[in-house]
Order: sequence, then structure tokens, then C-alpha cells
Amino acid sequence: MNEDCLKLTSYFGERQRTAANGFVADALLDLYGRRGIAASVLLRGAEGFGAGQRLRTDRSESLSHDLPLTAVAVDTRSRIEALLDPTVDLLRSGLVTLERARLLTGDLETVAAGGPTDGEIKLTVYVGRQERVYRVPAFVAVCDLLHRRGIAGATALLGVDGTAHGERERAAFFSRNAGTPMMVIAVGAGSQIARVLPELGGLLRQPLLTLERVRICKRDGELLCGPPSAADSRPAADGSGQPPAHKLMVYTSEAALHDGQPIHRAIVRRLRAAGISGATTQRGMWGFHGDHAPHGDRLLQLGRRVPAVTIVIDTPERIQTAFGLVDDLTAEQGLVTCETVPVTRRQQVAGQRA
Amino acid sequence: MNVLVWTAVVLIGGAGSVLRFYADGLVSAAVGRDFPYGTMVINVSGAVILGLLSGLALTPSQSLLLGTAAIGSYTTFSTWMLETQRLTEERQYRKAALNIVVSLALGIAAAALGRLIGLHL
Repeated sequence: MNEDCLKLTSYFGERQRTAANGFVADALLDLYGRRGIAASVLLRGAEGFGAGQRLRTDRSESLSHDLPLTAVAVDTRSRIEALLDPTVDLLRSGLVTLERARLLTGDLETVAAGGPTDGEIKLTVYVGRQERVYRVPAFVAVCDLLHRRGIAGATALLGVDGTAHGERERAAFFSRNAGTPMMVIAVGAGSQIARVLPELGGLLRQPLLTLERVRICKRDGELLCGPPSAADSRPAADGSGQPPAHKLMVYTSEAALHDGQPIHRAIVRRLRAAGISGATTQRGMWGFHGDHAPHGDRLLQLGRRVPAVTIVIDTPERIQTAFGLVDDLTAEQGLVTCETVPVTRRQQVAGQRA
Repeated sequence: MNVLVWTAVVLIGGAGSVLRFYADGLVSAAVGRDFPYGTMVINVSGAVILGLLSGLALTPSQSLLLGTAAIGSYTTFSTWMLETQRLTEERQYRKAALNIVVSLALGIAAAALGRLIGLHL
């Protein structure tokens, strides 16, 4: 398959319930499993807030029972469009976005020929948690390959639930969770990504990956270009006439500190103080950005060494403000990208703020 | 009688942990999330009450219900340790050291104060 597809992303809370009083996360992934969605992943975040400005964080043990969740689903346009309304209905509060993506499966040799070569591309590779490539965990092998090929950055995120090739793969306590999906998110020049695709095809038994257009704004302290202004953006694809929302992704490391705390904590704190509509930080398992080799936790350590990704979604004007704040905090390191989000649905239940 | 006491231990123990959950959430939400104040407040307040109980002349069943069941489930050593370890994970070494030292100092002082009050009641 090599089709123009859609990516549906939902941002909500771990303890958030549906109208039928079940957990939103369960109901959502049940739905994706029933519909046999090609690729979906449920990620548990480290910290985040939504339009209601309520902070969900894993900073203290007792506050870790309601973390921010992100559910991503990728499939053909018609199948994802059919998911939009049921997803919005289940969520009741939170944020739902639709983005364009190319979904690639099977033989990647032929794909590369007609692949993207202009601009910058975000590549997402979906692998199983215990999937191995030549006796090395697949996510490590993929990050290693991307690093050797000079890709700007890659981060492996661990899913707790999801579907792969249409099959439900949910993590359970008494299980190896071999097939529970993980995603490796990488950003690089289109030409570099196109070159690495056949190699990924050779590495993975059942490749499942997506390509999306991005703009690299900042890398290792070097400002390349700011996020596009509202005037540059075409109207949103949902017929509202509004400019589409913009999305910043900030790739940092748990070891990179600002004022004594990890950069991603400082970013979330400042964005919240500035009244930005929402941000979510995911802690990765393995990854790199910039020139340093891929890194993650070690068996014996005090401080963690894993990468972290912070996603910020808001109007183009407020993303300009958010970028200014992020710019200050990533003076020496970090990778910042910007994307256009064609459709957003911000849900808010009357009397209750997410 | 014995069954009754142990059933009460189960119920009071459960109630103590629920109380801790809500007290911790309340304190954490009120005074910020940068430092595990919630756990510290719980452990220190638990130490005062346990000190006070030990100063009172209680029957073995009363001390089992109030000391072991109520305060035992209300206070938490494991959360204190986990939160200290989590601070070191984020390289907040000064806060991690403070969490240990201040909890210990306040905890012992609280237990002594509670006992003093209990002995004079």
C-alpha cells in the first residue's frame, strides 16, 4: 500500500470517561480494533495540559494516576473520516486533529522511486515492542540506521495499546507484549528519508510507516526558520474558513536541563503560564537528535537519559508566541519542527473543562 | 471478637489509604508539584498522631486499630522512597536530599511532639 492517508490524533486524559462511563482510552482502542485500523498507538504522556489549563503530570507519585494520553490512528482517507465522528463523540472533552500522511507497507523499494525528495519529512515507523532485527530490538536498529544516514533526529515511543496491520495489540501485565506497537518518529530532509526507505524495507519483516511534511525550525540551537504565520496558511480543510492550526514538536533529552530541571518540564510550565491552548510531553525509550549517538536508560544510573518529545497545538498566532518561548529554552540543543494541522475539533463538555 | 477486630483492621486500613490518596492530592494541588509536599505532610502528620497514640494508655485492640490499621495505611514509606528516586531521575539531586533529610527531621520531631502531648492528656 502506498496511499494518501489520514492520521487521526486524540489528546485526552487517562481517567476521562465516555458517556457510557467506560474509560475513553479503552473505548477508543476497542473502536480502532473493531474497525481493523492499519496502524494505531495509544501513548501515555509524562506531562501535559489542555484548553482548561489543568496540568496532568507524573512529577509526583500520587498525581500519576491521571496522565495525558495521545491516541494516533492511521489508515485510508475514507476509513479515518468514518472514525472522526465516533471519536469526537467518545472523547467529549479534549482535542482531535486530522492530518495528511502517506502510509507505506510491504515493498518499500518501489516506493522510494516516487518518494519525497523536496522539503523536510517526518517519518514514523511502527514496530512491535519485542520485535527484533538481527537479535537487536527493532526500535534500536531503526534509530541506529537513521543516525548513520544523517537524519536530524529520531525518538522511539512506547505504546500501551494499539493496532498493527489491522490486528489489536494491547499490552497486558502477564504477557510478553511482543506485538504492542511502538512508534519511531524521525525528521530529516526528504532526499535523505527517501534514501533510507529501501533500507528500512530490508530491515523490517512487515514494514508499516508513514510520511508527513514538516518544517525544521531549529536544530541544536541554530534557528533555521520560524513557524509559518497565519497569513501564509491556507484556510482549514474543515470548511470553517479559519486558518488551520499549527503544531510544534520539540525533541529534547531528559538529560538536557534548563535552570536545574529537564527542558521539557520548563517548556510545559512556560507554555501554560502564557495561556497556550495545550501541550503534551511524551518520554521516549531511545533516540537522538543532533550529532550525538542514540541514547536511552542504562541499568545503573541516577538521572534518566531518554529523549522526550513535546507537542504543542494552537492557532498560528499563538504558535508564534509558543515558538518564542521554546526558542529561549532550546538555546543550545533540541530539535523543533512545525506542521500544519488541517482539521481540529476542540471538545469541551458544558461545565467541565479538560 | 477476634474476627470482628481483624475485619475492622481491614476496613480502617482501607479508609486510611483512601484518606492518604485524597490528602496527598489536596496538598499537591495547593502547594505545587515541584516537591513531594503531599507525602511529607502525610508522613509528618501520621507521625504526630502515632506519637500521640503511643502516649495514651490504649488496649492492644485499640492500638492495633488506630496505630497499625489507621496510621499504618495512612502514612507511606514506599511513596516517599519512590518520589525521592524520581527526583534523582530528573537530576533534582538537591531536592532529593532535602526530601530525605527534612522528612526525617520533621518526622522524628513530630513523633516526639505527639508523644509529649499524649503523655500529658
